[in-house]
Amino acid sequence: MEKILVIDDEQPTLKMFSLFLDAFGYDVVTAESGEQGLDAFRTHRPGIVLTDIKMPGMDGIEVLRRIKAMDPGTEVIVITGHGDMELAMKALHLDAADFINKPLGRKALEDGLRRAKERMEVSRSSRRSVVLRKVKEVPVVRIKGNLNTHSEPYLRDACAAAAGEREDVLVLDFEDNASINGAGIAALTGIVTDVRDRGGKVYVVGLSENFKKVFDTVELSPMVEMYPTMAEVPDLPGGS
Amino acid sequence: MSMFSFQAMSLKNKIFFSTLAVIMIISVIIALLARWILISGLSSELELRGVAVARSISERAGGHLLDKDYPALLSLLFEETRLRERQHMINYVFVTDRENAVLAHTFTRPFPDRLRHVNPIPARAEKSVRLLRINSSPAYDIGVPVREGIYRIGSVHVGLNKTHIDSLVAKLRFMFLGFISAVIVIIFGISHRLAQYITSPVTKLIAISDELSKGNFDVPIHLGPQQGGWDMSDCPAFQDANVPCWHFDDQVPGRAQDGEMHHGPLGKCRECTFYRRRSGDEVIQLADSYINMVWSIRLYRRRLQESEGKYRSLFNSGPDPIFVVDCSDYTILDANPRSEELYNYSKKDLVGLFFPDLCPDSAREFMDMFDEKTGQDGCIYFPKILQYKRGRKPFYVNIHACPISYRGRRAVILAATDITEMMEKDAQLIQASKMKTLGEMSAGIAHELNQPLNAIKMSSEYLVMIAESGRRVEEEKLLDLFGDISVQVDRATEIINNLRAFGRKATLRREQIDINAPIRGVLSILGKQFMLQDIDFRLELGESLPLVVAHDNRLQQVFFNILTNARDAIRERQSKSGTEFSGMIRIRTTGGAGQVTVSISDNGSGIPLHVRDKIFEPFFTTKESGQGMGLGLAICMGIIRDYKGSVEIGDSSAGGTEFKIYFPGAESGPGRTVDDKGQQHGKDSGNR
Repeated sequence: MEKILVIDDEQPTLKMFSLFLDAFGYDVVTAESGEQGLDAFRTHRPGIVLTDIKMPGMDGIEVLRRIKAMDPGTEVIVITGHGDMELAMKALHLDAADFINKPLGRKALEDGLRRAKERMEVSRSSRRSVVLRKVKEVPVVRIKGNLNTHSEPYLRDACAAAAGEREDVLVLDFEDNASINGAGIAALTGIVTDVRDRGGKVYVVGLSENFKKVFDTVELSPMVEMYPTMAEVPDLPGGS
Repeated sequence: MSMFSFQAMSLKNKIFFSTLAVIMIISVIIALLARWILISGLSSELELRGVAVARSISERAGGHLLDKDYPALLSLLFEETRLRERQHMINYVFVTDRENAVLAHTFTRPFPDRLRHVNPIPARAEKSVRLLRINSSPAYDIGVPVREGIYRIGSVHVGLNKTHIDSLVAKLRFMFLGFISAVIVIIFGISHRLAQYITSPVTKLIAISDELSKGNFDVPIHLGPQQGGWDMSDCPAFQDANVPCWHFDDQVPGRAQDGEMHHGPLGKCRECTFYRRRSGDEVIQLADSYINMVWSIRLYRRRLQESEGKYRSLFNSGPDPIFVVDCSDYTILDANPRSEELYNYSKKDLVGLFFPDLCPDSAREFMDMFDEKTGQDGCIYFPKILQYKRGRKPFYVNIHACPISYRGRRAVILAATDITEMMEKDAQLIQASKMKTLGEMSAGIAHELNQPLNAIKMSSEYLVMIAESGRRVEEEKLLDLFGDISVQVDRATEIINNLRAFGRKATLRREQIDINAPIRGVLSILGKQFMLQDIDFRLELGESLPLVVAHDNRLQQVFFNILTNARDAIRERQSKSGTEFSGMIRIRTTGGAGQVTVSISDNGSGIPLHVRDKIFEPFFTTKESGQGMGLGLAICMGIIRDYKGSVEIGDSSAGGTEFKIYFPGAESGPGRTVDDKGQQHGKDSGNR
């Protein structure tokens, strides 16, 4: 059974997390503060950690930093207040895998947990998280798992290769479980800006809701065209 | 009776008649004396002359008597009698012998025999005088003995005509009386003039005084013989009432005008055009003194009129309502036009109105002031007094009350300033500041609200999930879940209620509140957020403190401001010393002796000494520009002052700042009545 640690100063919230995660079939460990959470992490070494950010005493950001310091591979999902992207971005910069908004719905929780598990699969199977392929003569960069400091060079390479094939169009196809951290966002921003400067178009496909918000926050959204699936992407003009 | 009539007489008559009476009395005495001296002198002179005649006859008659030569004797008698003017004086002469027989006589008719015995000469006497009547005319009979050696051989009797003396006396008396009459007539004239001289200025003074008492100050004053260009309008002090005159303005030293006055200790004209003293008798000096006095009165009157006019116009044209209220029955004695306008009463209605009716909420304070029970002298300031204009329309005024004497009665002059608009602006400012605070707090509040919402959302989603999966859940667990949801809804409701209470615009009416209530209210909003920022609270709230007359809502704002400032100070210190530093705010409430003290101390960065005096000034801020307007504490101060409270700033033992706020406790007696009324008015306003 997958172990999961939940840190939240809210007793009722913790109780609900326990019920849900229990129902989802996880081994749940709860902690009421950052300090307790770190202790529990050391004891139980869970693969996934859900932590609230705003807590008295040690806050979620500090918890994230310390857990990442202890075990960088841990999937830390931060729980933010509704629409508080500032904190979410801060967490992403510290290699948080994902973020969930409060009030927290069952689907968001399920999705978040599923994606986390998939990412863990990706990293365990040590598959490359960035792959360049061609769809209808158009180069498509497929991204899965974590787009972080480690995978960032692969992204750059893939995009450079894609540009070599076709300068005017870049398709970034995100798998549903894709997570982008601070370094990943910086890299993406650089790539998108380059394409735009060349006068090209960037199509972003399959980005999860959370990361759409991140794109909005860093003002990448207006520079790209977004589509839920590859099928919906309009026919790209044939290469010359 | 005569005394009364004398008293009632005019001074002129008194002088006149007294002088006359004295002169008359002296004249009569002189007349009597003179008469006595003249008559007795003349009589004795005549007698002497008679004796001398008789002697000379007796000496020469001796020989004739011895010789018994009677014809010679007779011729001697006639000779003597007829000598020069004696004939008018001497009536008769006769000579008798030793046996008293008549030897010779000058009577041309038979000798009246009784004459022989009328004036006998005593034996050794040298003469004998007796008044008798001869032929019904009075005469002195002077008898002298005729002697030969030591023997008496006869006697000579000479009769002197008394009519002669009488005619002489009458002549003298006539002359004398004539003289005295002349003197009296002259004295009469003199005393008449004298009396007139003394009394005529007095009469004029009386006439002028009468005119002055009637208020006619323009009566011309003509006293004394010379007027000498005595024109009061020449005096600079009369032309300009601001020019002080040393004669009565010695309290205004040195306030003299150039050219007109000396710059001396007293404003004295180089040459006083008015005050003067002529050389002359007391009557002239009295007249001068009187003219000076009247002039002084005129000048004072003019100044008084000017001053009165000035204050009257101030009263009438003042932009603020002014009332004069009688201290004995609290009724309005006078009111200016502006008060009619503002209070919407006519002056007729205002005068006689019971003043506390205009401000029933503060009636007690005003009555204390009218009764001099406030223990304060001079003017008293009443801020933010709720008053009602006609039709029970409420509005707010600041009132300055100064005691005066009004038409001999103890009164108070009350100047009111309509501050309703200012109060509304104040309220708007306070409200705006509150809204700003709320805005700043919104993120925190959203987080706060998100917690129960999250729990509710998760609970409901969980229930949906269970329902969808078709699994059975124990009833106990279900109830527990529903209970949790309800608790969380309550929690959210409480947050919203607190927010609503804080954001609500305060009503104008104050209530009696426990100071701990607004503190708890603010903590319910801020407490959790502060804890998220590593700031802990230590509460030492006193039990059963005196109540405070205030608005719960506004006090919350005060504490809100002070607490957020404390938070900012702590965060400043945190950012300097790293996140390890944990903040602490201690709130302590204590009460006693009609006072409530709230102490809020933090362990933040503190306030530098040099800005402590300024932090309550509006637009003063230590924060970076854009962080705040610098109105927060100024508004706090205004609110605290409104409730007659005060603030002290000091260092807290923890190294930060300590705010000590003092509020007077509500008086149970009058406070209660105000409160009762307040509730009543509250209903009234609710009905409108």
